[in-house]
Amino acid sequence: MATLFVDLFGKTLRNPVMNASGTLGYGREIDPLWSVDTLGAYVTKGLSLKPHHGNPPPRVWEEGRGMLNSIGLQNVGLKRFFAEHFPLFRKRNTPIVVNFFGFTDEEYIECAASIEPDPLIVALEINLSCPNVTKGGICMGKEARGVFSIIKRVKETTPIPVIAKLTPEVADIVEIAQAAVSAGADGITLINTMPGAAIDLGTGRMAFRGGLSGPALKPIALKAVADVSRAVPVPVIGAGGIMDHEDAIRFLMAGARAIQVGTATFIDPFAIPKILAGLAAFMDEHGLSRLSALAGATHD
Amino acid sequence: MYDMEGVIRENLLVCQDFYRCKIELARPMGKVIPGQFIMLKIPSAEVFLRRPFSIYDCGKQTVTILYKAVGKGTRALTSAGRKERVMVLGPLGHGFRVHQGYTPVLVAGGIGIAGLHLLWKQVKRKACFFYGCSTEQEVPLLGGIDFNTRGRTATGTRQTCGDLSSEHGQPDTPVIEPRVCTLDGSTGFCGNVVQLLKSSLSLVGEKPYVYACGPQPMFASLKALLAEKEVPCQVLVEERMACGLGLCFGCVKKTLDEAEPYKRACVEGPVFDLWQLSL
Repeated sequence: MATLFVDLFGKTLRNPVMNASGTLGYGREIDPLWSVDTLGAYVTKGLSLKPHHGNPPPRVWEEGRGMLNSIGLQNVGLKRFFAEHFPLFRKRNTPIVVNFFGFTDEEYIECAASIEPDPLIVALEINLSCPNVTKGGICMGKEARGVFSIIKRVKETTPIPVIAKLTPEVADIVEIAQAAVSAGADGITLINTMPGAAIDLGTGRMAFRGGLSGPALKPIALKAVADVSRAVPVPVIGAGGIMDHEDAIRFLMAGARAIQVGTATFIDPFAIPKILAGLAAFMDEHGLSRLSALAGATHD
Repeated sequence: MYDMEGVIRENLLVCQDFYRCKIELARPMGKVIPGQFIMLKIPSAEVFLRRPFSIYDCGKQTVTILYKAVGKGTRALTSAGRKERVMVLGPLGHGFRVHQGYTPVLVAGGIGIAGLHLLWKQVKRKACFFYGCSTEQEVPLLGGIDFNTRGRTATGTRQTCGDLSSEHGQPDTPVIEPRVCTLDGSTGFCGNVVQLLKSSLSLVGEKPYVYACGPQPMFASLKALLAEKEVPCQVLVEERMACGLGLCFGCVKKTLDEAEPYKRACVEGPVFDLWQLSL
């Protein structure tokens, strides 16, 4: 029987499968269907210093083999997350990755500083894809210098390992990842959603703008994982359109240490447990005892 | 709540763009509260996400939905044939909470009837029902409703625009027969369902409690009407959804809760107190 254990930042996770931030609520919504301890680690909804209301509806839009979302980072804030939602993960002994964001550099620093280290916190995952109010609303993850400075300051603030979650809407994602790593990032999550739009044919109206997720994103994510994992010495966590265990294996082969599943869960709430079962069966079938046998197995 | 395999047993055109689809489930769905919904995986490669549908009716191991073909998903569903396999997640969400000691007044606009049919079955002995649609062609949507019309047709008698008292000989008698209105006046009262309700509210008996489902503008005019009389009201809302389980925060409705205005239709709803919604 194959083991799915994976080492990440000095901790051993049960398996390499996480949810993508913002796709599994606060955890308590899925827990009645399958226990959150099924996950290698739970990634929180994007959290901010203060609660954030998010965008008015509509917030989701189906487009081809994917969906657009414009949730607007609605969340209860870090304080309430730890008071109301973290106890479930404590009870289930489930490691978590705290995804967080800010609208200014200072907010990022304050967020990171406010999170107390805990044996269950594997890492902080910085969402670098939101608009920076102090920099004219440009997304701070699009520019290597900005990424370097924010990661450096966050690293100086917290002893908890830091993962940079990158937007694919950049000219050279390897350059951005290298900037994050040289600033001290302990890992890289690839990729966030890709900004997109939908147009109503009847009216010609721009019907929706939002981040694209789902299978439409997968080839872009796979390339980013393959390129970045060859270029940086830290673990890469792959995300983007993983629908089943075969997709998960492709990401591991591309060089991902762990993976995140998002949109698939909306279509099949049991996607994550099914991916885990499929992964274990695949390894047994191929006589692989450890996940590291798959690591970066892809070749030209 | 379960994710169940199902087989389509019937998928019939009711009228115009409206269809009724009955699904046989591989296992019992469990207790269903009127107003709850399912997330249906539509058997088409063109449709990516599941779609939410109110539970129109249910049996021990069957679930029926009534739907209007308006978008890609519902249009694809119209071509799903008998014996086609689907996945059904449900029952989901908070349904109607029926308060004792009140006269239930059900108010449905258009396809909103899909969300009220089950409640009607539960409370019809002592309830009033008002249904509004565009034209008489949509009246067959009432077909599944077992009307207590005392010999009248389900659609009521044709009447002059705005004139309800002429149909009802004894205005003091509580109205218990379902009432219909059409926007073009082709059948029943001429006007929208809130205008119909306004003209009849004094007839529905003491302590009315309104349960409504329909398009968003209907809720705003309902609020304006009921505010005067301080009538309690629950509404079943519709919103675009991705997961149906509260995972994605995609289907929110704005409420008057200042601290946390956006509530998820799938878990905090789809039934909300009208007085808590920001319309």
